[in-house]
Amino acid sequence: MNKKRVMSLEEKLPSVPEAIYLFRSCTGTLQYPGVENAIRHICGLMGIEVIMDPDQTCCSGYLLTCSAYLPEFSLAVTARNHALAEKRNLDIYTFCNGCYAYNCEFAHLLEDQKTRDTANQLIGRFGYNYQGRAKVYHVQELYYRLKDRIAEKMVYPLKGLRVAAHYGCHYLLQEGVIDDFDLPTFHEEILQALGATPVYYTERRACCGYGVGKVFTHKEEVVLPHLLNKLSSIRDEGAQLITTVCPGCNVAMDREQPHLSQMGRGEFQIPVIDLGQLIALSLGASPVKLGFNANTIKLDGILEYLGIDKGAQV
Amino acid sequence: MAREKWKYLVKDFDKMVDTYGLAGNLRQCLACGKCVGDCPAASVSPSYNSRQIIQDVLDGNQKRLLASEEIWHCLWCASCYRACPSGIYFPMLMMQIRFRAVEAGFGLKYFQTYQKLALKAMTEGMTFVPREKGRAKVEKLRSEMGLSPWPEVSDKAKSEYNALFEMTGSKAWVDSVANKPEVPVDLNYSKGRINLE
Ligand code: SF4
Ligand code: SF4
Repeated sequence: MNKKRVMSLEEKLPSVPEAIYLFRSCTGTLQYPGVENAIRHICGLMGIEVIMDPDQTCCSGYLLTCSAYLPEFSLAVTARNHALAEKRNLDIYTFCNGCYAYNCEFAHLLEDQKTRDTANQLIGRFGYNYQGRAKVYHVQELYYRLKDRIAEKMVYPLKGLRVAAHYGCHYLLQEGVIDDFDLPTFHEEILQALGATPVYYTERRACCGYGVGKVFTHKEEVVLPHLLNKLSSIRDEGAQLITTVCPGCNVAMDREQPHLSQMGRGEFQIPVIDLGQLIALSLGASPVKLGFNANTIKLDGILEYLGIDKGAQV
Repeated sequence: MAREKWKYLVKDFDKMVDTYGLAGNLRQCLACGKCVGDCPAASVSPSYNSRQIIQDVLDGNQKRLLASEEIWHCLWCASCYRACPSGIYFPMLMMQIRFRAVEAGFGLKYFQTYQKLALKAMTEGMTFVPREKGRAKVEKLRSEMGLSPWPEVSDKAKSEYNALFEMTGSKAWVDSVANKPEVPVDLNYSKGRINLE
């Protein structure tokens, strides 16, 4: 491969932004809305303004609907969402690997003048114009950039909590990401800064199995056997908690654990939360605000371990 | 074991499938199999083989490929892409193979799930919006944590998303596929090979 794939963080994110255009993830917002609050909490403490735009639509879930229609629709949707961020002079920050990948992928296709003209013609009807000025980031890059400042503000150190990081696929496969696809370490570095014990497990880089809607179509044949491999390797290392950076991964790994048990494939009771939620928790955000009620596998054991009152309203 | 006959083969099938040139140069495939070694779909369903799928595309083995169950097993994780010494972006190929399969009337039972999601997204401006009961649950959860009960998506966002769906012909396409009869598959798989009986 000859393209530049990994960038240093300083190169990608030379300075911490004053404000971000937080790109609403449909899955995140509907399944684990606490992630939104977590991001607001972290950014609030770091002096970054979070802007969410009601005019923004779904990234089009291109891959999900990949067999449903040709890419023109997704190209137009991407151009439209980017035009909205451009108008505010902001860069886009996603909190879903899927949103990140599709926005990058399509922005890349939109570099082609002909493609761009077609997209602009479509969105021009509503008064938008795409110029390709807004850059696409994932909030995890911001967490990594700020990890030392976050550690300074920590209220609840993580007391050696054994955390298995799941990076997911669609962020690291893009060009211009901040770590290596096969052996990334930046989540573990963040976890360590928070006082947790990162757990290395053999299936660490394996996909969550959610695979663009596979849960709906191939749960028995593909998703569950795959998840069994993944989760067993996490359990074997004695992890107490799993973190993700993509609500899609979170759905697969959290919601499917009871099904594995029902299938007689062993008991799995490992809570799965977003890395941002864990950071916000250690920064003192209340569990109520972080919305752990949305999780299938409950967080009570973790909160008890960390000495945090689960009903606390901060 | 009976193999496919030459008369099924379609010339330049690779160009026909990868209309947008998204998958890289398939002709540079070394058939090294690295992609298969790293593939989670192959590890749980051994008849799934990305190297073979590429070979089928290059050979123009349209009939076998589009009708196959295997093309619906890919998780789109792109491990294959990362392993590939020739920079072949296999997931992008897979996406387009599936599009062609649906066009030919195969795999409609899988497509219908995606179709429902797409149609719902059209009016909501968001994908994965649940039905009424799920909706009430989302509203309760979000309210409890001090968020607006429903994600703030403006009417403008919804109507423009919907309009783009129609303007790009996507709505017409999704509707047209909705009433298509599923083409019965007369191929048999055994361990990754197809027998034409
Ligand atoms: S890794 Fe790349 S070159 Fe090797 S068989 Fe797979 S697609 Fe072909
Ligand atoms: S994207 Fe598909 S073919 Fe490639 S490694 Fe993942 S499951 Fe296998």
